[in-house]
Amino acid sequence: MTFYIFLFLAALAVFCGLMTVTSRNPVHSVIFLIGCFFAIAGHYLLLNAQFLAVVHIIVYAGAIMVLFLFTLMMMNLNEASEGHKPALARISAVVSAGLLLFILIAALKKTEPFAPPLTIDHSIGLVKALGNTLLNEYLLPFEFVSILLLSSMVGAVLIAKRDKSPKPELE
Amino acid sequence: MNALIYTSALGIICLLAEIFNLRKLIIPIAIAGLLAILGTVALDWNADNSIREAALYNMLRADSFSLTFSGLLISLTVLLLMLSTDFYKTEQAKISDYIALILFILAGSLAMASFGNLAMLFLGIEVLSISLYIMAGANKHDKRSNEAGMKYFLMGSFASGLLLFGIALVYGETGSFDIVEIRDFIATHQPTSMLYVGVGLMLMALLFKTGAAPFHYWAPDVYEGAPMFHTAILMTVAKIGAFAAFYRLFSACFIPVMMPFGWVLSIVVALTITVGNLSALVQDSFKRMLALSGVSNAGYLMIAIVTLYGKTDNAVFYYSLAYGMALITAFTIAILVYRSSETESFSGFNGLAKRHPFIAASLTIAMLSLAGIPPFAGFFGKYYIFSEAVRNGRMWLVIIATINSIIGVYYYLKVVFAMYLKESDSNAAPLQIPVIYSVVIAITLTVILAVGLFPSTVLGWL
Repeated sequence: MTFYIFLFLAALAVFCGLMTVTSRNPVHSVIFLIGCFFAIAGHYLLLNAQFLAVVHIIVYAGAIMVLFLFTLMMMNLNEASEGHKPALARISAVVSAGLLLFILIAALKKTEPFAPPLTIDHSIGLVKALGNTLLNEYLLPFEFVSILLLSSMVGAVLIAKRDKSPKPELE
Repeated sequence: MNALIYTSALGIICLLAEIFNLRKLIIPIAIAGLLAILGTVALDWNADNSIREAALYNMLRADSFSLTFSGLLISLTVLLLMLSTDFYKTEQAKISDYIALILFILAGSLAMASFGNLAMLFLGIEVLSISLYIMAGANKHDKRSNEAGMKYFLMGSFASGLLLFGIALVYGETGSFDIVEIRDFIATHQPTSMLYVGVGLMLMALLFKTGAAPFHYWAPDVYEGAPMFHTAILMTVAKIGAFAAFYRLFSACFIPVMMPFGWVLSIVVALTITVGNLSALVQDSFKRMLALSGVSNAGYLMIAIVTLYGKTDNAVFYYSLAYGMALITAFTIAILVYRSSETESFSGFNGLAKRHPFIAASLTIAMLSLAGIPPFAGFFGKYYIFSEAVRNGRMWLVIIATINSIIGVYYYLKVVFAMYLKESDSNAAPLQIPVIYSVVIAITLTVILAVGLFPSTVLGWL
């Protein structure tokens, strides 16, 4: 049963991912990306990582996608405004992405997945276990993230703050 | 090893200082705080830090490499903050934000110089990069600055994604984020192709962050577009921090898997030095010339990574010290010249020697040191790195690097010729030199000369 769910989710994720890249309409792209995120969240649930699944949906499908859609609406991007890229750029992008895919598949195929641990800790993906790890072992990085958030917040304020004497150079 | 925590706290204090109307005191507080933090780094030098490392689960390590680089990064930031007093004179309303961002940049680079865990490496790079994106785009009304910020942001986030992908693959192979555990795993197991792909992706991200060819395309535009003082931060603290992380990661973890990457890295190094040098040769703008020479300097430093098997860390430190000090001298004078002549091209320096002999002589010494002319510090930096490479059998790399440093002399001396041999415009205004700028120039020159004349004292530190 789990195997079939896995297959279904994997197919859904790949399909949505392909459609995200190939759709002409940016709004369709975003909707497909949301579908892709839900499929990946389903994978997390299969791996018993409940916290990760919930956070993934809240952060990506919720916050970031809303931001994307909002930006699309603000900038009024539609099919007509999408410029054509030069053929050389497209070919080189396809070739380099294809090479990366090839190398990753080859590397993963050759890799022996290391022996599964004898005792699988089923609580490892739960909020309690994660909280314990974050606030014991990973306390310093956890606190350092706050500096990351703070500096991006300061930056957003700095960029958005209105200057006292705006110069008219930039239209 | 608590320098990271103290620096972050100091940044937050600077942000809070604005609430209490202490705007005038922010820079003195920051400088005094950093000097105190420098003292704690010096105290850590002789102390046994293993207990405190264990208390932090080895997230940070206080070995001699991380402590010396922390000291260097903090000292460079102190010098930059001294310059900032005058640079931000017209932007008092934003000063607390800028100073806090500079301190966060320092915090990020400290994490990169002393990480013991890949989580700290990634966070350090992100804190550094996010603050730098803002600094590059700080001049809102200048289109070039907007372009610099946007370009750096888009490409930098892509590189961060590659780094994260690489870390994930390395974790999948070794089962740990800790650099010591990763090293032990790699030393005892046959490396698989997944590990190689992971290391390769991390290598690409770090090459991007240090601005090495073929990932250097962002560097000239970003360095040129950013405001002059922010370019100085980008090229000193950020670059040395990124390089420290690069060197630390590969020397601590990945020496056993370096074999397939040795040739790739050698070619990357040769390419970086040559491309940076040849592009710098044809530039007309002093700032862009320095930016491209920064690319080739990253290449010289990377020779030390190619020859990791030897003990190159003290040579790397020496080179970084010489490079940072010479660049700060150059940027201090470039800020002064830019302010009076409003031009970034070499013509702004015309006839400077007649008007300000002291300034012209200082810039000449800085340029000679960057070009690698004895007896200044830059020469010994190159000498030690090259001699390690020769000892490790990379003769052809050293030959390419030497040819390039001879080419480099030409463009470094271009500005010297402009100062000494060309006549200035008759209406050129004399430079307004704030006292603090003279102090900074005096300090950096003393270091360049002292380190150049007595190189063994610094080399003995590590």
